[in-house]
Amino acid sequence: MSLYNSKINFKCIIEKLPQINLLKSIGVREGMTVCIKSKQPFGGPVVIEMGKRSVAIARDVAQQILVREVQ
Amino acid sequence: MGCHTSKEADIHIEKDDLKILLMGNPNVGKSVVFSKLTGMDVMSANYTGTTVSYTKGGIRYKDKKGVLIDVPGTYSLEATSVAEEVAVDFLKEESADVVICVLDATNLERNLNFAFQIKEYNIPVVFALNLIDVARRQGVDIDVQKLERELGNPVISTVAIRNIGLGDLLEKAWEVAGNEIDVAEKVDLTEDERWQEVGRIIKEVQTVDHRHPTFLEKLGDQCLKPFPGLPIAFVVLMTALGVVVGGGKGLRAAIFLPLVHNWIVPFFRMLVSNFVTEGVIYNVLVGEYGVFVKGIEWPFALILPYVFLFYIVLSFLEDSGYLPRLAVLVDASFRRIGIQGGNIVPIIMGYGCAVPAILGTRAATTKKERIIVASLVSLAVPCAAQTGAFIALLGDHSLLLLGLVYLISFIAIVIAGILMDKFIPGQSDPMLLEIPNLLMPDGSSLFKKIWLRTKEFMLEAEVPMMMGVGFAALVAETGMLNSISGYVAPLTTGWLGLPPEATLGLMLGVIRRELAVLPLLDLNLSTLQLLVGSVVALFYIPCLSVAGVLIKEFGLKLSLAIGVSTIVLAFFIGGLINHTVTYISLLF
Ligand SMILES: Nc1nc2c(ncn2[C@@H]2O[C@H](COP(=O)(O)OP(=O)(O)O)[C@@H](O)[C@H]2O)c(=O)[nH]1
Repeated sequence: MSLYNSKINFKCIIEKLPQINLLKSIGVREGMTVCIKSKQPFGGPVVIEMGKRSVAIARDVAQQILVREVQ
Repeated sequence: MGCHTSKEADIHIEKDDLKILLMGNPNVGKSVVFSKLTGMDVMSANYTGTTVSYTKGGIRYKDKKGVLIDVPGTYSLEATSVAEEVAVDFLKEESADVVICVLDATNLERNLNFAFQIKEYNIPVVFALNLIDVARRQGVDIDVQKLERELGNPVISTVAIRNIGLGDLLEKAWEVAGNEIDVAEKVDLTEDERWQEVGRIIKEVQTVDHRHPTFLEKLGDQCLKPFPGLPIAFVVLMTALGVVVGGGKGLRAAIFLPLVHNWIVPFFRMLVSNFVTEGVIYNVLVGEYGVFVKGIEWPFALILPYVFLFYIVLSFLEDSGYLPRLAVLVDASFRRIGIQGGNIVPIIMGYGCAVPAILGTRAATTKKERIIVASLVSLAVPCAAQTGAFIALLGDHSLLLLGLVYLISFIAIVIAGILMDKFIPGQSDPMLLEIPNLLMPDGSSLFKKIWLRTKEFMLEAEVPMMMGVGFAALVAETGMLNSISGYVAPLTTGWLGLPPEATLGLMLGVIRRELAVLPLLDLNLSTLQLLVGSVVALFYIPCLSVAGVLIKEFGLKLSLAIGVSTIVLAFFIGGLINHTVTYISLLF
């Protein structure tokens, strides 16, 4: 399932990331537990929570991030 | 206006001065550390990408001297963006004696990953574990001594804004500078190994207390949801507008105008009349349009109140960490004009002054986005000084007209954005933006920032303004204005329907944006003429300092293209409005 389609406030683990350097250096990595905090309409980004941090990720990228729900 | 000088002060570096690089991820408090250590003022802001160009400053520790180089903040050292390339070049080529690497204690993982990348360059490193106060408030506790052992470098906890720990930091920097790095001991980690190592260290040194979120944390999260995020954004922006426009009018009427009219101008009149008798020189100096009359009234009484209030609002928004939240909300709309939401920051800055806005586009990762944002700001975003001028010109006449000018500006931004997105090759990067904590801005650094920006405006605006007014008074007094006006009459009176004196605005508008508006003040223009004059001034050529920065950032060809298109558009749209309205009114 893609991160973009996971439900808001449901924890999931990242299984696969697209090849985008900034994603890694901003600290998003495979194996991390994250959850979507909010989603913007009209193709806007999602904001995910990882640990105590929040990161906004464009829809196109979030669609390429594969996750597994853990609840 | 408020225009920004990029201070690359020429500091003389002596042979035995210590050369220190200041590095770190974006938004870790690097600018604050730099200002505190050097006593130089650089601006900080609570979002990524404050430091895009580098600055050097001299520092002293006891009787020793050194130079501190503020390297652009980046997430990694892989040279994938301009800022990263600059950072890597510094590490490779500057032969620094020591690196001070600032780490964000609330974000240890990403920061330690960066720390390991720096350690690969064989330069002694001292770590500043900054924002330790915020970390504590969040319930994060870090064992500094353990961290020191794990990293094998000194680690000092700091609260940069309160100057805590910075003295120790310098002491350590001098202590380790020049230490030979034992190359044999160094391990080169692959990226995955590095993250694993970071994860292991964090388990060792960090304990997190789970606590209920604070009010600001909850508010910060709410701002990110379409509801209530959008209503909140609306309230925030309307409040900002109210403070600048309403507050500006109040300040102007209550303080600045009386001060200028009753005290400053009479003072200069008295002074000058002691030396000069009535005549051309007298008029140029203190006549109705004299250098010491309009040259003071315009910048100080009409413009300064708005600039000052704009910078209060901007600085507050920056330091609170609200802007990245706004970026998330506008991203979907901004993508329609070819840029991602993060560009809201330079665009909002453009409502203050286009110069820092254009420099701020360096944080954008693609050339296409930079060009779009810089062109939009040069074309259709009025700077705070011009806003002040518009309010002076239109505010008393009709607020509706003022609103109309801003509506036209907004429509132009949308249309120009869509067109540029279509015709400029290349693409824009998807949004990937760290959202900082919402913070109550620190009073003293906020105050300093507002003061710094206002001061810069006064210095940068006053001289060109006086020269512009002096030049205007001279051409008017000598009758030259009439002959020049004659030449451009087909354009001004014919096509735009403005009185011949409006030529002056077009001449002075080259110097500063508000000077394209202010000469229209006492011409008794009709409503249509006011509108046309304002629209022409809005789109008209970017001012001299903006032209300078465009050339510096994008080269002559592109700047010329931007400059020429804004002028052509200004006259085209102005004339179009004039003729359409005239034609329609003939029908009725
Ligand atoms: N509470 C707190 N705030 C800090 C500290 N250091 C910096 N800040 C704030 O954090 C924000 C980011 O700082 P800045 O210097 O612009 O970061 P830079 O991007 O690394 O240059 C600003 O709003 C600062 O006022 C600190 O130690 N404690």
